[in-house]
Amino acid sequence: MTLVNTSVHNPWRDPVRLWSFFGLFSYFLIPWQGLEYGVFDATPDEFFVAYGWSSINSSTIALAAFIACLIRPWHSWQKAPIIDGTISAFAGVAIFFVATVTKEPLGYGAALQIFALGGILSMALARRGFIQGDPFMTGSVLFIIVAIAIFVFFPVSTVFSKVLFAKDGSFTPDLFFDNLFSFGIGRTVWNSLRMALTVGVATTILGLTFSLFVTRVTKRFHGAIRIFSILPIITPPFVIGLSLILIFGRNGSVNDVLLMLFGDGGIFIGAGQDGWFERSPYIYGFWGIFLAQTLSFTPISFMLLVGMVSSINPALEEASLTMRSSDWQTFRYVTIPLLRPGIANAFLLAVIASLADFGNPLVLGGDYDVLATEIYFSIVGAQLDYPRAATLGIILLFFSLVSFTIQRQWIGKKSYVTVTGKGVGGTFQALPRGIVWGCTIIVVIWVIFTTMLYGSILLGGFVVNWGADYTLTLSHYEELWTRGFGYGAWPSFLTTLGFAAVGAPLTAMVGLLIAYVTTRKQFFGRNVVDFGAMICFAIPGTVIGISYVIAFNTAPILMTGSAVIIVISFVFRNMPVGIRTGISALAQIDPSLEEASLTQRASSIRTIFSIVLPLMRPALISAMVFSFVKSMTTVSAIIFLVTADTQVATTYILGRVEDGDYGQSISYGSVLIVSMLAVIILIDKLVGKSRTERTKV
Amino acid sequence: MSHNSSSAKITFRNVVKKFGDLSVIKNIELDIEAGSLTTILGPSGCGKTTILRLIAGLELPTSGQIFIGDEDVSALSASQRDVSMVFQSYALFPHMNVGENVGYGMKIQGMAAEERTVKVEEALASVGLSGLSARYIDQLSGGQQQRVAVARALILEPKVMLFDEPLSNLDSKLRRNMREDIRRLQQETGITSIYVTHDQSEALSVSDQVIVMDEGVIAQIGSPHTLYQKPNSTFVATFMGDANIIDGNVIDEGGNAVIDLGDEKIFLSRPTGEVGLGPIIAAIRPESMTLKDTDFTGSTDGMLKGRVISQAYVGVANEYSIDWHGQELFCVVSAYLPAFKPGTEIYISIDPLGISPIHE
Ligand SMILES: Nc1ncnc2c1ncn2[C@@H]1O[C@H](COP(=O)(O)OP(=O)(O)OP(=O)(O)O)[C@@H](O)[C@H]1O
Ligand SMILES: [Mg+2]
Repeated sequence: MTLVNTSVHNPWRDPVRLWSFFGLFSYFLIPWQGLEYGVFDATPDEFFVAYGWSSINSSTIALAAFIACLIRPWHSWQKAPIIDGTISAFAGVAIFFVATVTKEPLGYGAALQIFALGGILSMALARRGFIQGDPFMTGSVLFIIVAIAIFVFFPVSTVFSKVLFAKDGSFTPDLFFDNLFSFGIGRTVWNSLRMALTVGVATTILGLTFSLFVTRVTKRFHGAIRIFSILPIITPPFVIGLSLILIFGRNGSVNDVLLMLFGDGGIFIGAGQDGWFERSPYIYGFWGIFLAQTLSFTPISFMLLVGMVSSINPALEEASLTMRSSDWQTFRYVTIPLLRPGIANAFLLAVIASLADFGNPLVLGGDYDVLATEIYFSIVGAQLDYPRAATLGIILLFFSLVSFTIQRQWIGKKSYVTVTGKGVGGTFQALPRGIVWGCTIIVVIWVIFTTMLYGSILLGGFVVNWGADYTLTLSHYEELWTRGFGYGAWPSFLTTLGFAAVGAPLTAMVGLLIAYVTTRKQFFGRNVVDFGAMICFAIPGTVIGISYVIAFNTAPILMTGSAVIIVISFVFRNMPVGIRTGISALAQIDPSLEEASLTQRASSIRTIFSIVLPLMRPALISAMVFSFVKSMTTVSAIIFLVTADTQVATTYILGRVEDGDYGQSISYGSVLIVSMLAVIILIDKLVGKSRTERTKV
Repeated sequence: MSHNSSSAKITFRNVVKKFGDLSVIKNIELDIEAGSLTTILGPSGCGKTTILRLIAGLELPTSGQIFIGDEDVSALSASQRDVSMVFQSYALFPHMNVGENVGYGMKIQGMAAEERTVKVEEALASVGLSGLSARYIDQLSGGQQQRVAVARALILEPKVMLFDEPLSNLDSKLRRNMREDIRRLQQETGITSIYVTHDQSEALSVSDQVIVMDEGVIAQIGSPHTLYQKPNSTFVATFMGDANIIDGNVIDEGGNAVIDLGDEKIFLSRPTGEVGLGPIIAAIRPESMTLKDTDFTGSTDGMLKGRVISQAYVGVANEYSIDWHGQELFCVVSAYLPAFKPGTEIYISIDPLGISPIHE
């Protein structure tokens, strides 16, 4: 074991003592327990009881630990860390244990004091040589591991315990199987899988078509590509569904037109004859969801495939052509096989996205129930059937993890083309004529269709009642936005803005920190961090939602209904993108830059702030923008966590949809889309191309 | 820049570094004199960079102790040590200009801006880059970047400077200039320096002391002369330039050592006592050999008889491959001497200074 000497000459300035003092101060000043009505609305009595020192409780352990760290015999620097580490680690575990048994809800004071214990533990571990003896990095790793344990592993495991243990704590595995084979679950699973596989195939074919079109048919659509990549981020997941209702719904435009032509008294129908056509809700169900998801996820498949298509080395196709194979044979035996790993990847990710999609099935599902929505319906309203919701959550998580694992294996081992983001030199041979025509026709249909959809989204808010009364009106907007900040859309809009604004920097920081420690540092426990990050990638939003509701509904971590839990759900939902952005940004930064800074006597914190962060600024900003926008438009996890006080934009819109008020919901939706687009464009303009981007390290 | 009176010696006591189960540095004992320039040579992956990183504190030893001066630094992190490093990639911060790069360490230490500017200009002047402090790194040539990296390392007046293959990204002409500049700066400042390189001529030309490493151990340590002329193993002999390895037996001829090769013999022109009798390996430098016609009239005592297999003209010299009793010898002869065609029988005459006896 490598020991590290970070002792300072004045023992009173030793970080362990500083942390202990910090812990003691928060013990006396900040309430240990959570206050049911918040810090500001609590009565003095409640305040008093919440303080750790008002009685003997779990906080006494923390107090004892801090005192022990302060008065322990001041051993040599080799031995002291063993004592400190044992005390702080033991105290941390004991606090959770005791608080769970005595059902104390831990509050801000507890959080600060556990943080202080973490500080002491990191110092001790660093002195025992953890991560090259770097206390800051050690603390970060500890923080990440504890955060992943509390907000990923713990909730997921409570979902399992919900169906394996009865209320009295007895082990009842048959409960799980009862639920598993209960009426309707089999059909729901089959519905979800059928949908996911169909959508996977469709989006992959379309994504491939578009990739071929923009790289091999014409190169004039770079602006379109950009829009393509932004649309799925800024569009709330159910808005596509809504616009499909406007167009194909019972009162939708298509029905109107068909009715006008072929309905009772229609143009092609003789007077007095019955029409061939009646209004019907054919869009609800399989085809509606299929259409909405295909429209929503094709851009994602496209983004995954276009890099690969453009980085095929043209020489490979040329080689095939010089060997007397026709252009069709070349396409069939060279081009497509080269793309196979990319195709598989796009397919699997589309499957995961379809399984996880909650918004579209919610508005379009009709009788077609899928796992994501059934989880919600199991606990909403009078149902409150948590075991059933948990069972469904486990099934959904299982399928999602399986697809994700296959995807990881596949991509890890079978990539024939290196995705560098830039094309390879040389020009491509022309594709076979049939392919060119096929691509072009599909693209044209798609563009018309998408324009129609987004057109209906933007216009839908300006007519009295789509399908019935097309009189232009501003009344929906007035209703939403001009009744003062306490009415209409404002409360939910401002709440969401606040949550997203707090969550975005946190998400970006945690994501980049995880990227940093997993790519740059070797440490014991890295697999835990990797695994936790992988779960975050794969876990569907609804499963996060249900698991948070179940896990954080009781002491010691009682957070259901609070704003904090919503922000935390944002952080863990959006973190994967932060991690991915961070990893690719770090791959561009030579690690010896950080080492150069260290050998210039800069501490590791200093190095992070003056070297790593400035160089990662573009990544930091894009991770922040992404998570901000995503937080504004997400629905799946948050719908489980909001209360009347913490209503967010998307849940408000869904409420309006449930009331059948399509005018307001669609106008609120379009305001969200337009304002998110504005945010992205604005940040893009403000940031521009920075010096660090120009100078590739 | 003034002579650094505080330069420090470096000592390794039984240092081991493992990455997982892989021992990369194996029980190294090492003493480096204060104010000297030591080069580390060795094949790729032998642990040269790891030694530098151990001194810098970028890696901590698995066991053993490292001293800088009299202080045990084994448990100190990089930012706590008085050591600067010049990286192979230069590691210049792309988001700072030249002045900010060079002044980075002083800014960290909290030096005031005006004082820093003066210091930075001084340091830049010492590497011949006066007036470039407002430039960004991507506006500099490779050689200039390298000088900035040196200035940044020098400015903190560290006790120890480390160079990890600092010149490997430069072309050969520039490399020669730079290595002389580095040597000059090192001698002016008197900072104890360790220099890693792949290029043995670089090592021989600049250093006070050379360390040859092999798979995590020190194969030999000594002055450039010692290593070239008295290698202690065939590994060192073949690593420090080319060498022909021949097995023989030392015998005594009137107090002088002679290597008996069976039918032939070669002279060492050293007292037998110094070399010792018995079986030995002779490492013969190719450039210490000259070729003679077989109708050569003088004494052929101490020469080897062989046949030219191939000959290549490389400008300054002719390189020969020679068959000697079935063993192939490599031999470099000045191009101003007459050349021999393949197939020609010849005598090889060897300068005794080019023969190193090795006991293994
Ligand atoms: N962080 C690390 N983890 C695991 N192995 C390492 C690490 N750093 C170095 N090694 C291994 O240690 C050995 C020595 O590496 P080192 O970089 O010191 O070699 P080197 O002599 O500098 O080689 P080169 O001349 O190629 O630069 C190599 O086998 C290398 O693979
Ligand atoms: Mg190296």
